[in-house]
Amino acid sequence: MTHIEALGRVVATERMPNTPHEFHFWTAIDSPVGIGTIVLVEGAQAVDGQIPRIYGIIVEGFSYTDLQSPLHDVLGHDGSPTQAGFASTERTEIRLYTAAVLRQIPEEPLQPVPMGKVYLAGEEDVQVALRMDGYLRDGAHTGIPIGVYRAGGTDAVIYLDADFLLGPEAAHLNITGVSGLATKTSAVEWLLASLFTHFPEEKGSIAAVCFNVKGPDLCYLDQPGRIEETDEALYEKLRVVPRPFDQVEYFAPYTAKGLTLNTFRNNEALLDNVTPLSWGLREVLQFAEVLLNKDDIDAKADALIDFIKENVVDKEFSDPILQKKHTVQSFADLDAWFRDVLQGMERKDGDSWRTHHVATIRKVRNRLSNISTRCAGLVTDSGAVSDLPFGSFTDRTVYVVDVANLEEDAQDLIFARIVSKLREHLERRDLGVKHLVVFVDELNKYAPGDGADTYVRKMLLDIAERGRYLGLVLFGAQQFRSQVHRRVVGNSGTALFGRMDPDELSTPGYAVLSAATRTKLATLEKGQLMVRHPHFTQPIFVRFPRPSVMQGREGAERYPQSNEASIESAVLRSLRPLDPSITLPWVQDITALYTEQEVIRARNATLLARPADVKAYFSAQFRRIIPAQAAPRPLATSVRSAPENDPYGF
Amino acid sequence: MLVSGAGRDAVGQNALRLLMQRLPGVSAIDGPGSTELPASADPPVLRSAQLVEGSSLRGIQVGAGPQTQSGFGAFLDGAQRVQIMGHYDGIPIVYGTASAAIRVRVNRRMVTWGHQPPRVQRKFFLPLRYLPSLGDAASRGGVSPPDIVDTSKPDQSGAFPSLHPTALLERAMRAVDDMREQLEHQLAEAWCALGEAPLFMDGGISGNQRIASSSSAIGVVKSHRTLFVEDDALRAVFGLARGERSSVFRVSPRSRSSVISWYLRVRESKGHDAMWGLVRVEASECDRPAERAEEISRWIMAEMSPLSLPDGRWDKMAYGVRDCEEFLRAIS
Repeated sequence: MTHIEALGRVVATERMPNTPHEFHFWTAIDSPVGIGTIVLVEGAQAVDGQIPRIYGIIVEGFSYTDLQSPLHDVLGHDGSPTQAGFASTERTEIRLYTAAVLRQIPEEPLQPVPMGKVYLAGEEDVQVALRMDGYLRDGAHTGIPIGVYRAGGTDAVIYLDADFLLGPEAAHLNITGVSGLATKTSAVEWLLASLFTHFPEEKGSIAAVCFNVKGPDLCYLDQPGRIEETDEALYEKLRVVPRPFDQVEYFAPYTAKGLTLNTFRNNEALLDNVTPLSWGLREVLQFAEVLLNKDDIDAKADALIDFIKENVVDKEFSDPILQKKHTVQSFADLDAWFRDVLQGMERKDGDSWRTHHVATIRKVRNRLSNISTRCAGLVTDSGAVSDLPFGSFTDRTVYVVDVANLEEDAQDLIFARIVSKLREHLERRDLGVKHLVVFVDELNKYAPGDGADTYVRKMLLDIAERGRYLGLVLFGAQQFRSQVHRRVVGNSGTALFGRMDPDELSTPGYAVLSAATRTKLATLEKGQLMVRHPHFTQPIFVRFPRPSVMQGREGAERYPQSNEASIESAVLRSLRPLDPSITLPWVQDITALYTEQEVIRARNATLLARPADVKAYFSAQFRRIIPAQAAPRPLATSVRSAPENDPYGF
Repeated sequence: MLVSGAGRDAVGQNALRLLMQRLPGVSAIDGPGSTELPASADPPVLRSAQLVEGSSLRGIQVGAGPQTQSGFGAFLDGAQRVQIMGHYDGIPIVYGTASAAIRVRVNRRMVTWGHQPPRVQRKFFLPLRYLPSLGDAASRGGVSPPDIVDTSKPDQSGAFPSLHPTALLERAMRAVDDMREQLEHQLAEAWCALGEAPLFMDGGISGNQRIASSSSAIGVVKSHRTLFVEDDALRAVFGLARGERSSVFRVSPRSRSSVISWYLRVRESKGHDAMWGLVRVEASECDRPAERAEEISRWIMAEMSPLSLPDGRWDKMAYGVRDCEEFLRAIS
């Protein structure tokens, strides 16, 4: 206990009594307390032989003078505000605070807060007040620093309980805050750094998958950022080394033209840990319902898609109406198969094939073929697959999937498939790590409280409700918490709030907060958060350091996004991280005779294989073409002259 | 000076319980009493005074502006409360509480003077002559009996008070008043002994020789039962405009010390009665009374802001005095 001098006294009147959950106290005018300050009350009378100690957090403040009417002040200064400053005496003034009880010791019997002196809580008091003492014990330390609580000279580290952040007791984290104030992304970047540093070794490995849904914010996690001295002090206090993430892997699909990666991080200097994300027919068909709405998929169409999944894809398929055997492995193969089926039906002049009506077949062909167009860059006709390293995830690694520049369909598809795969692997315990954090921003969009019940929303609900048993933890963020599905935010054991929009604060979900707390939320500075955690009976305000990674705007300026140049330049940019000796003339020489599609296919195959001899592997991807040569001109032969006396040449 | 009437608090209740152990037969009064409270001990009078500034009393502008700084460093006031707790065969059982405090101004805010704690005294005021002898408290469990002041002693002429309840009550109230004045004087003497910044006393200073002769105590009288002016001087005082003082005169009552005094109009009286915003100031004798009056008047004018509303006497009351009264109300 570090308090020495009392800073206030508990007061209660019949009109404003104290209760077991709330009390009032006054302080000196210059007392260093405010909304969010944690205080300690020491009762005057022992209960069961023990002096009660009550910990509370200030949730409301009042100030008034003995002035009965504002008019009296006007009269007293002859209506001149300037003259008021010359008054010899200031009116008697009070600072009266209301505090919500955080904890009472002893906890039983639970009584109204007694009269007593009020002290500023010291660092140890804060631990007791927030019940952090239960999980900061030696040998059972599961605390993850989230920030520093500051008030009146007290600097206390606030810890989240790993068991309640990542499960199994509770799990998930939700962050709310207005955009553009470096709240949500910064908080997650900081928290991941803290988590990777302090997550107890005995609890196993941990990794994070972050979906970058907008802007370049998450694109430079492995690059050092600028931090100030105050941040360094915070890092030291929080025992986290201020440095960028050691292990980060990026994944992004290509652009529709397929020349460059569709990410802010496609600058050649940063490509060494960027992996293309491309899927073929097999990967997409599993999640066809993500891209096909209910109007597209009726029972008949669904039956045909199931038939294709079960009997056609990746199998040798033959049928009497088909002109040849088909092995469908790509969208191109599938289209050829559809064409053959439809032609066969036309030849037989039949309306249906294997119970599937021709109209249904045409419709499904149309919808499925359309996917590769809608998700161009992600879905390949060729069937080549480049994916996250499911099964070999490594400890303390951040996997960033950049979907910021993609169309909504492609974003949904990526999100649905990756989360499903993660879930499958975690269920089988073969992902490579025991705990996985999935960070998704813009939950307003992906898990809205109203609107259609989409596949993505169902998946998010599933993670929120059952993920903690698997070690799959959702870190969600949004600007408007009130617009996110209640079961998603309701299942988040921990909630962080940055600067809030006043309109959002006026929604019913924030009615539990006092008016003063809401006002503070609406005016929070950068780097401040309000934290709700299962162990804390009231929200706590903390300060966290600026993330020690390069911020999106700075990264975008230092590493400008590459434009889609020529195919040769694109190939050079892709392959040079694998083999720096590759030059543009070499690429031009190798690719000169081939179509753009062939060159892209060869590049993708090389990037996927990452061979030791990149040049040889890349060259080998092209079919052998004998260069055209001009036909040798036949040698001119002399015309035998006819004998003069033999005009016919005999 | 704060005076409040009947009503019984927890302290008084406890004191009555102890008294009833020694004086069985006291009937406690549960509700407010119906005994008539005497209005005031002194009849309103006009009295002449010796002029010490000029040849006739006149109004003088003191020249105080909004930026005038006050030289007062502290304020002293007392409070008293009279509670009629019960009666014994019609004789009122009076419980009086008197208190006094000095509030010092630090950084424009009022705090209690640290050298001397505020004084609070509580006593029963009983006409013992008309009551049976009180029993011994020690035999009743060792509880200390409350202090008792006998209000039935003969006056200077040797006459005993009558048994009329109002007369007895009047005696008791005067005794409480004396008790409060003693407490005020104790504090004021202590202040003057230290010779600190001038003390603004609510009321006169002539009742105590040490205070009356100290330049550290300034008395400001708000009630005017006795006006120290007659005839033309009276009209001159009533005609004072805001920020005007009268010529300085000397007040030297028989039983009290001689002090210099003057009237000062602290608020515009237009639309009000003649006493509106009128105070009489008392200060110790000095070589240059006019200059002293000028200076102190400016200080008093500066003390009129902020207003002491909602107190009914706000037209004459300095905010520092109101602060003292509120403080005493809280502690006594």
